[in-house]
Amino acid sequence: MLGIPYEFWKPIDTLSLMKTNHKIILSSFICLAIISASCSSSSNKRAELSDRAAEIVQGDCAKDAGKEVTIYSGRSEYLISPILEAFACESGIDVRVRWGNSTDLAVLINEEGKSTEADVFLSRSPGPVGFLEGNDLLGSVSENVLSLVEEQNHAASGSWIGFSGRKRVLVHNVDQVSPDELPKSVFELTDPKYKNRVAIPGTNGSFEDWFTVFRDQHGNETATKWLNDMVENGAKYYPNNRSIVEATGRGEIDMGLVNHYYNYQEAAALGSEHRAENYDFPSDDIGSLLIITAATVLATAKDKEASNELIAYLLTPQAQAYFSNKTFEYPLAKGTKPNPVLPVLEALEIGSVDFDSLGGGFEETERIVRESGILN
Amino acid sequence: MEFLTSNTARHNQRAPLALKVTALITAFLFACPAIYLVWRNITSDSDPLKVLFSEQTLSPLMRTINLTIVVTLSAAILGTGLAWLTIRTDLPSRRILKIILPLPLVFPTFVGAAAFIRTLNPGGLANNLVEKIGIEKTLELHGLFGAWLVLTLFTYPYVFLPVAARLKNLASSLEESARLLGDSSWSTFRKIILPQIASSLLAGSLLVFLYTISDFGAVQLMRYDTLTRAIWTTRLNNQPVSFALAVILLTFAALAVIIETLISRRFRKPDTSTQAETVLISLGKWKPIAITASWLVVFLALITPTIALGDWAADGLLREFRGGRPLFIDFEDIIEPTINTAWISMLTALIAAAIVLPVSYLVARYKSSIGNTANAIMTSTFAMPGLLIALSMFFWTLKNSWAAEHLRGTIFILIFAYLVRFSAQALGPARASVASIPPSLEDASQVLGASKIKRFFTIDIPVVAPGLLAGSGLVLLSTMKELPITLLVAPFEFPTLTTKIFQSFEDAFVAEGGLLALILVLLSAVLTWVLVIRRADHLA
Repeated sequence: MLGIPYEFWKPIDTLSLMKTNHKIILSSFICLAIISASCSSSSNKRAELSDRAAEIVQGDCAKDAGKEVTIYSGRSEYLISPILEAFACESGIDVRVRWGNSTDLAVLINEEGKSTEADVFLSRSPGPVGFLEGNDLLGSVSENVLSLVEEQNHAASGSWIGFSGRKRVLVHNVDQVSPDELPKSVFELTDPKYKNRVAIPGTNGSFEDWFTVFRDQHGNETATKWLNDMVENGAKYYPNNRSIVEATGRGEIDMGLVNHYYNYQEAAALGSEHRAENYDFPSDDIGSLLIITAATVLATAKDKEASNELIAYLLTPQAQAYFSNKTFEYPLAKGTKPNPVLPVLEALEIGSVDFDSLGGGFEETERIVRESGILN
Repeated sequence: MEFLTSNTARHNQRAPLALKVTALITAFLFACPAIYLVWRNITSDSDPLKVLFSEQTLSPLMRTINLTIVVTLSAAILGTGLAWLTIRTDLPSRRILKIILPLPLVFPTFVGAAAFIRTLNPGGLANNLVEKIGIEKTLELHGLFGAWLVLTLFTYPYVFLPVAARLKNLASSLEESARLLGDSSWSTFRKIILPQIASSLLAGSLLVFLYTISDFGAVQLMRYDTLTRAIWTTRLNNQPVSFALAVILLTFAALAVIIETLISRRFRKPDTSTQAETVLISLGKWKPIAITASWLVVFLALITPTIALGDWAADGLLREFRGGRPLFIDFEDIIEPTINTAWISMLTALIAAAIVLPVSYLVARYKSSIGNTANAIMTSTFAMPGLLIALSMFFWTLKNSWAAEHLRGTIFILIFAYLVRFSAQALGPARASVASIPPSLEDASQVLGASKIKRFFTIDIPVVAPGLLAGSGLVLLSTMKELPITLLVAPFEFPTLTTKIFQSFEDAFVAEGGLLALILVLLSAVLTWVLVIRRADHLA
């Protein structure tokens, strides 16, 4: 203890050294950040488009229109940003995007209420859109945009419109499931021969949408009984489509009820190492429902015209071709053909279901799923 | 023992007003999310009591409690053991271990757990490997076991960093004497070391506890239905229930914080630590076991998930070389989020260190109800789901048109939200360090007539610095991996590595996600080494 004065010069010295060191690192990062931010500021020149956006753009970029649209997007950046970039180029309208999970973004818009910055909301599935509609936060998509898709692919009220689709399928491991074992209907999956072999993404948005439609089409009792029987039959819960497709590819589980899209991605990423394939239920089976991704204009959108222009752009032939060829989704604009690698679409389409009439449909679905015990 | 009496005496002094006012303001700001939550419970007609006693809540709550207890216990043991091995023994490779052992903290659990599953579960990479040598492995990580394993391996750094910091500051003379007097290693540890590190150990364990009750990513992927998952699944379709469940979670967290405060009070024993030379204990015949154990942890916690990330990334890169589908990201897409991640997390960690100091002093030095309240609020907010903190930021900024215009979607509000969420991680270790400033030193310098400021820099800072540094290190790593707040609160077009990773995994772009996650791990290693470990070595 006696050595205090003598001991203490040293730590102080190192401390002050540390501080300068820290400042240098910090300020150099801030400088770099400023440089990179100035690089990435958007511009309306064709030469500055990313390769993917350049493929979509037809002709030259328009002059800056002095307008801006703010998008909250539950569709992921990789798939959508080339289209948004192409839109900004072709229309001259600036685009700002907040990326996130569709449900979280819907909850955020609800929290922001009238002062939300969002003009347009892109959702991966209709559930979050239905929630916003229920809370009177949606405006309406203009008539001429609605007419770009078949009637069953937009809300009767005109509050939202579908712009691409993902089909429900049964993904299965090709080594563990022989072709003759594949069921003709989701109802067959409650059979003992599928015991402990099926995965269900119980809390996933598109599963909840699917199950809500299931209840609407077959009645509450039948749908609830089906799910309870599935649980009885050892169906396993997985959190989302991707984890099911991944687990099926490894052979951890034999098969699962998912959207068609993910298997294309996993196969594209992993090649032959991935041992799973999609199976389509017959087109009249509820198991092959088409879940559509939805676009909406908020009631408080600052520039409704520009917002509608953006949504219309999602349905142009070039954007629809992008969905079909690059993201393996079903295009929804009238007169566009899906990618030939995708199974022909004759499925029930989710848009044909009147969500408004389901009344608390999603809340009820959430309750039934929870009470089935699949989550435990 | 005279130190103890001297400390108690100090404890009866009245706290300086400036300290109390600062703590009060901090407490008030940190209470924003909790006030928002209570307000939403009122406006959405939630009934937390009714929700609490429903079957729907009780079983997830029990699972949360089970998981939290086992994870906290195992992380406490693992973190302490590793800290002791790397700081106090002649364990070979301890220098490199010190750098890499804190890193598992940087895995966002939604990535980490997915990578674990990819490597270890049936048909996974490890499985393929052992199959070749004829082992049919059937281990499948899920449920309580899976969640326990993943969370323990990802949270032990909360204990490791503060305890290591504390051990570094501990004089080994007492330990030496005990050993010379013939005490066994274990009894030396129990009688001499444990009481000295207890407050850091408790502070770290509390962080593990709070992290575990708030974790969503791991329990979701491990299919273990806890309270956070119930909050998450009801957030859209049944908001009153979701808000009520969040209140229950927060109450549970606050209880844990209060209990920790009460226990840690019993351990507020100062020690004789200064910059005394540490004598390393020779492991002797235990050396092989110690090496195996510590590298096994590294292997499980860091290498196992990294293998899967590397596999994903390599598949993508190979594919590009073979002329398959090119990667969706290029160099520029990596640089910007990397820079953003680095500077925002460093800045947050720096500010966190500054704002926790006043509260740490108030709690550790004085009997102050303001200090205790501030401590309880700041610490328990750590258990609050990020989504709710993000929503509360909007709620409060939109109350006022000036704030809505000037704060919403800015870096300031983003950093504030990070601080609200993560400052607890700096507060715990800082509090423990302040409590360990030997009053004898203070008294001596007072007698010698040193000014307050001079005393602060010459006496307090050297003792507090390692703990504070360790705490800031935790904030740094946590901020780097933060997802829900970053997605919702950050300015437009402010990508970070974690938001990019999230975008990748959302649509199954696993190659891109794997590559970005590897960069995140690498960046965290560099920053931890440069900013935390090297500094701490300078201090020692």
